[in-house]
Parts: sequence; C-alpha cells; structure tokens
Amino acid sequence: MVQYNFKKITVVPNGKDLIDIILSRTQRQTPTVVHKGYAISRLRQFYMRKVKYTQQNFHEKLSGVIDEFPRLDDIHPFYGDLLHVLYNKDHYKLALGQVNTARNLISKIAKDYVKLLKYGDSLYRCKSLKVAALGRMCTVIKRISPSLAYLEQIRQHMARLPSIDPNTRTILICGYPNVGKSSFINKITRADVDVQPYAFTTKSLFVGHTDYKYLRYQVIDTPGILDRPFEDRNIIEMCSITALAHLRAAILFFLDISGSCGYSIAQQAALFHSIKSLFMNKPLIIVCNKTDLQPLEGLSEEDMKLVMEMKAEAMKTVLGQGGEPANNEGVLLTMSTLMEDGVIAVKNAACERLLDQRVEIKMKSKKINDCLNRFHVAMPKPRDQKERPPCIPQAVLEARAKEAAEKEKRKTEKELENENGGAGVYSASLKKHYILANDEWKEDIMPEILDGHNIADFIDPDILLRLEELEQEEGLRQAEDMDDDFEMDGEELTAEEKEALTEIRKKKSLLIQQHRIKKSTAESRSIVPRKFDKDKQFTSERMGRQLSALGLDPSLAIKRARSRSLSRKGRKRERSRGDHGDAMDVDMDTPNKKLRVRSGSLSQSRSRSRPPSEVAPGEGFRDSAQKVKAIKLGKKSVKKRNKDARKGEADRVIPSLKPKHLFSGKRSIGKTQRR
Amino acid sequence: MRLEKCWFCSSTIYPGHGIQFVRNDAKIFRFCRSKCHKNFKMKRNPRKVKWTKAYRRLHGKDMTQDLTFEFERKRNRPERYDRNLAETTLKAIKKITKVRVEREAKHHALRMKGKKAKDHKEAVKELEQSIHLVKAPAVFQQDPTLTLPKMQVKVSQKQSEENNAMEE
Repeated sequence: MVQYNFKKITVVPNGKDLIDIILSRTQRQTPTVVHKGYAISRLRQFYMRKVKYTQQNFHEKLSGVIDEFPRLDDIHPFYGDLLHVLYNKDHYKLALGQVNTARNLISKIAKDYVKLLKYGDSLYRCKSLKVAALGRMCTVIKRISPSLAYLEQIRQHMARLPSIDPNTRTILICGYPNVGKSSFINKITRADVDVQPYAFTTKSLFVGHTDYKYLRYQVIDTPGILDRPFEDRNIIEMCSITALAHLRAAILFFLDISGSCGYSIAQQAALFHSIKSLFMNKPLIIVCNKTDLQPLEGLSEEDMKLVMEMKAEAMKTVLGQGGEPANNEGVLLTMSTLMEDGVIAVKNAACERLLDQRVEIKMKSKKINDCLNRFHVAMPKPRDQKERPPCIPQAVLEARAKEAAEKEKRKTEKELENENGGAGVYSASLKKHYILANDEWKEDIMPEILDGHNIADFIDPDILLRLEELEQEEGLRQAEDMDDDFEMDGEELTAEEKEALTEIRKKKSLLIQQHRIKKSTAESRSIVPRKFDKDKQFTSERMGRQLSALGLDPSLAIKRARSRSLSRKGRKRERSRGDHGDAMDVDMDTPNKKLRVRSGSLSQSRSRSRPPSEVAPGEGFRDSAQKVKAIKLGKKSVKKRNKDARKGEADRVIPSLKPKHLFSGKRSIGKTQRR
Repeated sequence: MRLEKCWFCSSTIYPGHGIQFVRNDAKIFRFCRSKCHKNFKMKRNPRKVKWTKAYRRLHGKDMTQDLTFEFERKRNRPERYDRNLAETTLKAIKKITKVRVEREAKHHALRMKGKKAKDHKEAVKELEQSIHLVKAPAVFQQDPTLTLPKMQVKVSQKQSEENNAMEE
C-alpha cells in the first residue's frame, strides 16, 4: 500500500554531494593507470569506460529518485489531494520533471562524447574529451540542485505523514477550532494530541486507533475549520477538507454548546451548513460537547432551533441510508470530554452507524455470492432398498478361525520359561524337537574329537562294510609279508673292526677340522711359509709321538732327524772349541743362559712364554736390542694418536669443528642443558 | 569344533593354537605355529621345505595313497544322528588308526630295507682304505690286528732329571 512507502523513499542527495559521490566512484571503480605508450585502442577504451561508467551511475541515481516518489495520479485520491494541498502538485511535478530531463541530458552527453572518443588519436585528446564529458554532466546536475533540495524536503515531510488507510473503517472528527476534538480523540484512543486553549493547536491530521466489536477503527483528528469561502482557506484547513472529501468515514461534527471556544452556536451552525455537501453518503453524528459547562436543555430558543435544524439535516442522511427514522440518539449526542460523560456512547454510536453502513454496502455487492459457493459434498443417492455389504471368500474366513483357535492352544516357550522359574533359572532344552529314528537318542552327547581326528570326518553309513574290506586286505597283506619278511642278517663287523673304524673316523674328522682351519683366507694366515718354526710344530719329539701313535718305533727316525738338525751343528762346534780350551764358553747364538739350556734340551717338561725382548728365531730381528727399539718405536708412533682419541692413521681431519646438528636445535623430549 | 590341518606342515591344529590368515580371494590359510606362519610369509613352498609333510609325501618318505586315508574325508553334508552308527564309528576309528600306523611302519621299513648292507659295505671299504690313519702299514704286515695294542708312552729318565733341574 502506498501509504507506507512514503517512509521508504531513499534520501535524495543534494547536487554537490551527488557530484562528489559519482565522481569519486568513477575514480575508484575504473582502472586508473594509463601511459601514453599504450596502443591507441587501449587508450580510447580506457577513457570511454570512464565516461560510460559516470553516465550509468548518474542514470541510476536519478532514476531511483524518479521511481520512488509517488505519482500523484496513481495513488489514492485522498493522498493525492493531501499532497497537493501540502506541496502543490505543480511544483512537485515540475521538480520531478527536471530530474528526468537531467537524466536524459546526461545520457545524451555520454553518447556524444563516446562517439568522439572513438576517433581520439592521442592520450591527451582522449583525456580532454573525457574531462569535458564529465564536466558537462556535472554542470547539468548543478543546475537541478534546487529541485533536488526541494524533493528532499518533500521526502522528509512525507515520511512524517500519518499512515492513514483510506479503505478501512474510519471516524472523522471535524468542527470549529477549540471545540474539543483532540480531547475526544485522546480519550478514546492512545493518540497523544496537543490540547491547548489557543486555536489551531492541531495543525495537521492525527490518527488514533480504537476497537469496537473486535474490529479496529481509525479515528482521524482534523485541524479546526473556519467558516470562510473555499478559496480563502489555508493549507491546514484544506487538510481537513481533503479528509472530509475523500475518506469514506463516519463523521462526528463537534458542537460547542457552551460557546467557550469563542464562537457562537450560530457561527458553528453556519459552518455546518456550508460544508454539509461533504457529508453526502456518510453517517453523520452531531456531538454536543462541553455539556458540563452548558447542558443541552439549558440552551436558548434560537440556539435550540439551530441545533434542531442541524439535526434535521443529519436525519436526512440517516434516512438516505435507509436507517431508523426519528431516532434522537442516532444523530444527536451530548457529551463532556472533561467529565468523560457520554464519550463512550458517542464512540459506540459512531462505530455502530459506520459498521451498519459498510455491511449493507457489502451485502449489496457481487463479491459476497462468490464466497458462499465454495464447497459441495456429493453423496450417492440410494437407488433401491438392497443391502450391499463387503465380500470375503469362505476359505479366508475358515483360515482366520483356525488361526485364532491355534493361538489359544499352543504354549509358547516363553510361557514355559516363566513357569519354571524365569530366565536365569530355566534353560530351555533345545533338543526336544529333534527328529531322530529313536527318541531315546535325543539327549545323547556325541563326541567330536578322538585322538587328533575329527569324528565327523569318519561318519559314514557304509563304514562297517568298508572296515571289513580293509581288514580283509590287511589280512592278505600280512600273509604276504610273512613270506618275504627276512632281513639279511649277514656280515657284521667284529669288535676290533668297530674300534678301528671309530678311530679312523675320529682321526678323519680331526683332519677335516684342521684342513678347514688351514683353508682360511690370507688375512688370517701368512702366505709365505715361515723359515723358522715359531710354534714348534716340527720338532723331533712331535714326530716321535706321532710315529709311535701309528705303531712304529720312532727312535731311529729321531736319531736321524737330530743328526741333521742345525742345533746339532752348533753343538759340534762347541765340542771342538772345548778341545781348545774353555775360553769361549759362550755360544754365539745363545748369549743367555736360559736360551742355552733351552736349545740344549731335547724335550721340555714345562712350556714357558718368552719375555718381550727375546728374539724368536723367525721374527727377523738382529738381536734383542733391535727388537726392543722396534717395540719402542711402534709404541711411540701410536701414543699421540691414542691421546687424540683417533681411530687410526686415516683419522686425520675433523671436517667441521662445530657441526650444526650437535650445537643447535630443540630436543623433542628432554632438556638441553649442555651441548 | 573341528581340528584343522596346518597349511604349511600339515600337523593338526588344536583349539587355541595358531593363526588363520584369510586372503582377499577368501581362501583361508591355517597355521599351527609361528614357524609355519613365518615360513608362509617368506613365500616358501612347503613342498621344498624338508620337515613338512608335503615334502615327505612328495619325495616318497611317507605313505601317500592308502585305503585308510579314504575313511577320513571331510563331508559337507551333516548326517542325522544315529547312536548305533556313532558307536560303530568310534570303534572303527581305533581299528583304522591301528592299521594305518602299521602300514606306515611297513612303508618305512621298506624304505630302509637295504640300509644295513650298504652301511656294512661302506664300513668295510673305509676300513680297508683308511687303516693307515690308525696303524702304519709296516706294522700291519708284522701284526695283522687292526688296532694297536694300548701302550704307555715311555719317557726317558735322563730327560726327566734335567727337566726337574730346570723347574727349580
């Protein structure tokens, strides 16, 4: 409904602001950077875009203004007239027209300049064209800025107009100024209208709402009307006149019979008669207010006559509608707003009259008949007296009967369980419904496993037969085996042979072990055979032992071996020297006493380890001094390395003195108190 | 409850032992212990692993085809319980196992039949060839016994005296 849209009209910006907004938007929303080195089409496009963008924005804004302001011809005549009264229809239309022309002008400007831009040949020229276009658009807006300001004022005022629904139930209050109209509306509604002793306290229409018979009524308070010719009326009076003219409402004409408003009853009656044309087809009630000051019965003759005249007029309206004739209370009521005496009666009377009128009109209109014809339920009419029940086949009925009987007979397992003590106590025998050849077998426990075999694998109805076959076969086989079941018990080794065999095998295994050791790689064994027998493997005693183990007499072999040995040679020399004299007692090869004794003896009863300075024959040192020096040199060379905690000769270089992974980083768990 | 056979070594799996592995094609592999399971995971072929029954059967170490094996067959159709049949089955199982064991023993004996003679031949040969490790051939001619008579090792007196002097 249009009456509410007055509050929703967007703000009309004034000219300057509008220009600023649009230009800054163009600046922001279009690309800003352009160089004169760009392709000419690109330059043109750049500036055309700016011009078009500005034009579009102006167009939008101005269209918004034009669309949102109501067109006086399209809205309810009450509002149309009201707006005309308030703002002057012509001015209003002119302003909007100006805005419209501005819009069109701007479109034209943009079109022209875009056409020119298409042929711009340099950055400077395009830019100048754009500047000119925008400038002209802004000038247009500047010219209409007074219209924009005017429209803004109107908009603000319109937003504050009371929201009157022209089509709903309305009660209109009119009369001279100061008769008590605003007091009345304050009494019956929640409206808070100013009540003051001076005239024209109420300067515009005020709306209040009241209820009667569960329906809501608008009550409109008007500014006072003076008795003047129509042309002389000011805007405020014109408001009330407009309301009276256009709103289909019940009219309460207030009469101040005390005269305290400053006007006599005669003047008020004159006013009444001058505007009675406006009361056509509207329920009219004449209300005599301020009866606390002057009761109706206390009126003078002339005043009474005037009042009766007015009443007669009012009655005419009643008669015109087809209401009750000669009902005094219907048209003439007295009340006192100060005393609150008769206020409700007035309201009720007014509401009742209005309601009756509206209902009557509705009944006479065509719309009502449409509502009554909405539903219709169709029932088939019975064509004869025959009964037709639903049809169920016989078999189904029998089955149903049987089922019912069975349900009652059979005892469920659950019932059985409950009888015998409940769930924990009674365990149902799952085997009682087994179907077996002999019912005694129902509770049998059959084993499943025997000696590592599954019995279920053996179960076979024919097992006896097969077993018999097997046994027959077995018997036959046994008979066969008896025949050729002799084992050649033939040769056996004697005890001596066995002994010899075990010894042979022992020796063989020893040899194999030794060979396996010998078969090792060159790493663990020097390839060059030793010249000197360091481990004393090849001694004559050993030879003797081995030979005797084989059963031979070793003495001859030992003698022979000894006669050829090197030490023997030495001994020979010793003997010859001994003939000369005992000068050289010391053997060249054996300086030590111990050694001498050692080389002299054939066999040792005890083995001794050598001291480190003693030179073993196979070692390659000249004498023990050399060996001692060699040992010393060896130790010295290793000492420094060991002190540096180096692995060996190759462990020379520390690639990084402070490796990062050892000196940095957080630990995933634990503390870093030291690095 | 059923006693199953281990897929790898073919021994019986008693309840509470072993692991079952179900492959994506829904084939079930049962193992009696982790040894078999691990061998399976290593993708070893039981036919090549010496200690399994599969190998033994394949290489003829154990009896393969026999009537006694036909008695024990997995039947998928359950039979209706019959007490007499159950009794006879139990007795029969004992007899069948006895027969089977005997036959297996016979098989083994058959396999080992020529062993004694062979061993004997080898021993004789070895004795003949390697007697020189025990007794020198020269001595052999003089004294035809195979082994040496047990004798003490003689240690000369003189040497022992000298040694005593050194020990001081």
